[in-house]
Amino acid sequence: MKSKITTVMMVLLAVFITLGGTTSCKSKKRLAREAAEAEYKSKVEQATQDLNAILNDETLWSLEEKEARVKTIKDWNLQNADVDSLIFEAEKKLARERAQKDEEERRAAEEREKAKAADVVLGRNFNSIASAGSVSQANRVINETMGLFESPNVPVLIIIKQNAGFNDYDRPTTIEKYLNYLKDQKKVDEKVFDIKYNANGKINELELIKK
Amino acid sequence: MKKIIATLVICLCVVGSAFAQEEIDYARKQAIDSLALEKVRDLSKYIKIVGSKDTPFSEANRVIDRAEELFMSDAEIGVSSLGSNKITFYRVRKYFEHLMRLNYDRVEIEWYNIEYVSDLQQQPDGTYVGVITIFQTFRGYDKEGNLVYKDTTKKDITVYVRRKETQIGGRTIGFWDVLLGDMRVKETTNR
Repeated sequence: MKSKITTVMMVLLAVFITLGGTTSCKSKKRLAREAAEAEYKSKVEQATQDLNAILNDETLWSLEEKEARVKTIKDWNLQNADVDSLIFEAEKKLARERAQKDEEERRAAEEREKAKAADVVLGRNFNSIASAGSVSQANRVINETMGLFESPNVPVLIIIKQNAGFNDYDRPTTIEKYLNYLKDQKKVDEKVFDIKYNANGKINELELIKK
Repeated sequence: MKKIIATLVICLCVVGSAFAQEEIDYARKQAIDSLALEKVRDLSKYIKIVGSKDTPFSEANRVIDRAEELFMSDAEIGVSSLGSNKITFYRVRKYFEHLMRLNYDRVEIEWYNIEYVSDLQQQPDGTYVGVITIFQTFRGYDKEGNLVYKDTTKKDITVYVRRKETQIGGRTIGFWDVLLGDMRVKETTNR
């Protein structure tokens, strides 16, 4: 009788151990699956939110930051149709922004180069006018210089003093009057400070500063 | 009631002048001083160009236009000569036209010792007013090149400097507008 009870106990123990181990293993897998599902869901939500923000211009990220964000989301490889569609649209939008930014940077660089070149040309011509040996010689350089400008009435601003945050100017003049002033006064007391151009590459505003 | 009105008027005057005046530091004041002196030097060059018989008529007229822009609209220029005690006042354009027609074959005009006799002082309306003195030596020659007339005149020019604003390219530009007032003869000698 005693040995029967012992045998039954042993069998029950074995059954418990076996059942217990199986249940624990199943629970771990379930937890892991649930965690993976939660992570996936969170990533989908985050990706959807970020991509929508990019598409609707509701973010303060720079273009580079937006490009990096889209790449990260793409690398997650979420295989979610909605997210994939948003990625497609965001990439198209960022490509347009990139092209626009590159074009702006190219134009800015071009403007800088042009301004540098114009700075040199204007400085040289100002000196030529002021030191011309005759009125006709000065007038020839004036006419040549005027070709760089949109019109004879292009405003010329002369900074007489730079202060903290603002400039003091002389009475504004025009390029025609300024070039003739150089001819009359036979001196150049100003240098180029800033040049603005119109769409045709002609100067439409000139800012000078006292040397 | 009268007292209240008087007080209000005084208050408005004080507030008005406070708004009109702008405190400027020493460096800015110096820049304005230099600008006004420069305008007087510019004028001396214009007088020289218009007075010169070598200057083409069209150039002289253009320079007169520029010279006129240096002055207030009602400014007058005093002219003296050794042969008379009378001082004749001309409006700016008339003065330059008179200068162009002087009956000499060659004219030399030199300005020197250009300096402030009275510094620019801010007035209650915010305008800076000062007086600049200059010495002018005039020489007139005949066609043989002989010096037939020479005098040296000391002249005082009143200068007005006002702070103004204008719009250029969508920006508000604050500038100092220097205008010359009357030019008065102080003394004329044969030196």
